Amino acid sequence: MILAKSVRHLYLALGTLALFIMILYPATAQQLTGKVVDKTNYSPLIGANVVWLGTAKGVSTDAAGNFTLQLSDAVSPHIIVSYLGYKPDTVDVSGKTAITIALSPTSSLREVVVEGQQTRYSALTPTNSQIITTRDLEKSACCNLAESFETNASVEVTTTDAVSGAKQIQMLGLDGAYTLLTTDNVPALRGLSTPYRLNYLSGTYIESIDIIKGMGSALNGYESISGQVNVKLKDPEKSERLYLNLYGNSLAKLDANLNVSAQVSPEWSTLLMLHSDHLGNRVDRNNDGFMDLALGTHHNVYNKWKYTHGNTWVSEFGVNALRETKLGGQMDYVKGEPIGPNQHYGTESETDRLSFYNKTSYTFPGKPYQSLGFISSAVHHKFNSIYGRRQYNGEQNTGDLRLIFQSIIGHTGHTYKVGASFLYDDYTERLEQSRLARTERVPGIFAEYIFNNSENLTVVAGARTDFHNLYGTVFTPRLNIKYDLTQNTIFRLAAGKGFRVANPISENTAALVSNRAFVFGEELEPEKAWNLGGSFTQYFELGGRPGAFITDYYYTTFQNQVVADMYTSASQIAFYNLQGRSFSRSFQAELQYEVLKGFDVKTAYKYYDVQTTYNGTTQQRPMIPQHRFFVNLGFATPFDKWRADLTTQYFGQMPLAYMESHGGATSARQSDAFYTLNGQVSRAFKRWELYLGGENLLNFRQPDAIRGADNPFGPAFDASMVWGPITGRVIYAGMRFKIE
Amino acid sequence: MKIFRNLSLALVMFFATISAQAQNGNEKTVQIKTSAVCGMCKKTLEKAMAYEKGVKASTLDVDSKMLSVTYDSKKTNEGKIRKAVNETGYDADDKPATPRAYNKLDDCCRKEAGAH
Repeated sequence: MILAKSVRHLYLALGTLALFIMILYPATAQQLTGKVVDKTNYSPLIGANVVWLGTAKGVSTDAAGNFTLQLSDAVSPHIIVSYLGYKPDTVDVSGKTAITIALSPTSSLREVVVEGQQTRYSALTPTNSQIITTRDLEKSACCNLAESFETNASVEVTTTDAVSGAKQIQMLGLDGAYTLLTTDNVPALRGLSTPYRLNYLSGTYIESIDIIKGMGSALNGYESISGQVNVKLKDPEKSERLYLNLYGNSLAKLDANLNVSAQVSPEWSTLLMLHSDHLGNRVDRNNDGFMDLALGTHHNVYNKWKYTHGNTWVSEFGVNALRETKLGGQMDYVKGEPIGPNQHYGTESETDRLSFYNKTSYTFPGKPYQSLGFISSAVHHKFNSIYGRRQYNGEQNTGDLRLIFQSIIGHTGHTYKVGASFLYDDYTERLEQSRLARTERVPGIFAEYIFNNSENLTVVAGARTDFHNLYGTVFTPRLNIKYDLTQNTIFRLAAGKGFRVANPISENTAALVSNRAFVFGEELEPEKAWNLGGSFTQYFELGGRPGAFITDYYYTTFQNQVVADMYTSASQIAFYNLQGRSFSRSFQAELQYEVLKGFDVKTAYKYYDVQTTYNGTTQQRPMIPQHRFFVNLGFATPFDKWRADLTTQYFGQMPLAYMESHGGATSARQSDAFYTLNGQVSRAFKRWELYLGGENLLNFRQPDAIRGADNPFGPAFDASMVWGPITGRVIYAGMRFKIE
Repeated sequence: MKIFRNLSLALVMFFATISAQAQNGNEKTVQIKTSAVCGMCKKTLEKAMAYEKGVKASTLDVDSKMLSVTYDSKKTNEGKIRKAVNETGYDADDKPATPRAYNKLDDCCRKEAGAH
């Protein structure tokens, strides 16, 4: 069918071409000359691409906007005219020898909302990117960022410890701390907030999520090593006027969200987003005397303002404030219980966070390819916490400034961005008697060059140099190459270096919920790693329905890493600089296909080999399975009136940190392999949507999630070895109400 | 091959009869000239129509910009359907789109993008 169609198109094209040549021949014109101008002011566009449709033969316009094409290169009497910042146009030039083409500018910061079905793997970006759309977000349980990744194969969500139940992300088998998290492309929730950060962004704040595997742009700083997760928050201009979401689950956790947006004036729009969740019910389904999930109350407010002035100025302001209190531990633990021989084991935490950001961009009039951007953000983050008899308090104050200039060299095939940044980071942590503090002041400069041959090759080469007040000059190169073998076959390559200063306590809070002592043997150096990887994407159509096959491989090797060693001693977690090797090899193959109209299948297999040298011996990092399997079935009736989703994941055996010497009892050194199953059904009406779902439907629970639970102050106590679900099956239901 | 064609013809006749019976006089069709310009507009409009009370079916012909909507005249009327089109961001005959809804459309769905 498709073949017949293309054959017909070919005949049609050949026919037209013959006609075209016949018409032109008597005029003896062998060339097509023309001019490309801006539709609004008729100023010439310099460096616009003009290509014969269906060929690679084309030219760029000169300083006066003029171009000349050879008619002999044409296969069809149409030309494609494109220019960065303008809408590309296909123009019929049959019978013409001279033509003027007027392009209309696209409004600069207005992003296209991708809501396609098989567009989850972008065909356009130079990096290996995936998009989680609003539609995907609605497939999983509400209401925080952690749950947003449930129907995605590339990002894993793991539980940090058996007492708090906090969730963390992993990419390429590496801890979430190695993934740069940005909101609207502004680095967010870094540093001390890393362990609980997924809780701090409600799912209802999110428009879509971009996941970039491997090395990304150098523009956002030197910290990303395994990848970048960019959360696009709702846009005040485009968001619903009212959005209400209510959720409750079988553990009696309640969640309420309200978004209100308004167009205040033609130039100003605003969006207020509120989130509250509360769990006040003590649940102990595995009868170990400990609450399966920490109790908590969390209030979160996000207010965004957007200012748009014509096509030149766009500015966005955002303020976010949150307060979270948590209480976990033994069922009988009471808040503020004094330390004593008969006390219960408990954990408490209180977090306050205030952040602000502004993004302002100025696009030069008549030069939509040239712009100046200024990004600033400030964060105050403070928490006090108690883990049994340990106290851990911390405070972080951060300021971040960035100025980016973007323009072209000659024409839009050569784009560049240059800029300067300044990062101020002030950390104070207190664990029991020891105090850790540091102040970082990091001015830096960066540049990125993008080459695009407007046909099949994109090269993004970037680098940054930062002048760190504590660790000297840091050079961070990054390279991304994308090559389209055909329109549907895409190769990508990514390589680069990352640098970050670890926060060993906050990145290992799980170990606080154990008897292990935190031991710092030496002065810890910053972490440095190289990451090299590539991906292959094949889009296809089978039986008239689209599909995609994606496979990728990434290799990360650390020059230095802050090793958290739980293997060497059962009573310690020792921190030291890497002596030896530390690497991660990750392989993933994924297949997406719409098997029947409205019935989507996603399957993925993942292999991880993550090893580190612990005290002289190189071994697998604990709690990372070598083999994983992922299947997601999605069903939707026309117009999404009914939707159903089922996701199953298989986790292979994982190595656990050494535990055999605990009180003479022998403990397993390997986890069990297990499956999880999540599902959801939703029904949409014009303004209402109802959903009902279940997490961990197979009711699999990790046996003995807490070691030595009967004697929590004894030497055998350890709640940090979590490799599986703690809570068992959870059923939830909720509703959404929208006014557009 | 011939048997198959006859069979399918019979089936089509069969369903045509059934749907004719189901109409029971309340079903009406209205043709609305819209400002839709692309395939994405077609998706958006047809989806919006599907969630309107009383609407049975709708199709947009992108080239002619004509939207035909089949509806139950007991549950809705032409005015309500036109209003729903406006609230999705498109003109309906002489009635202009709601500005807020129009501004929320993607660039490619805006009138000034031209038919493509």
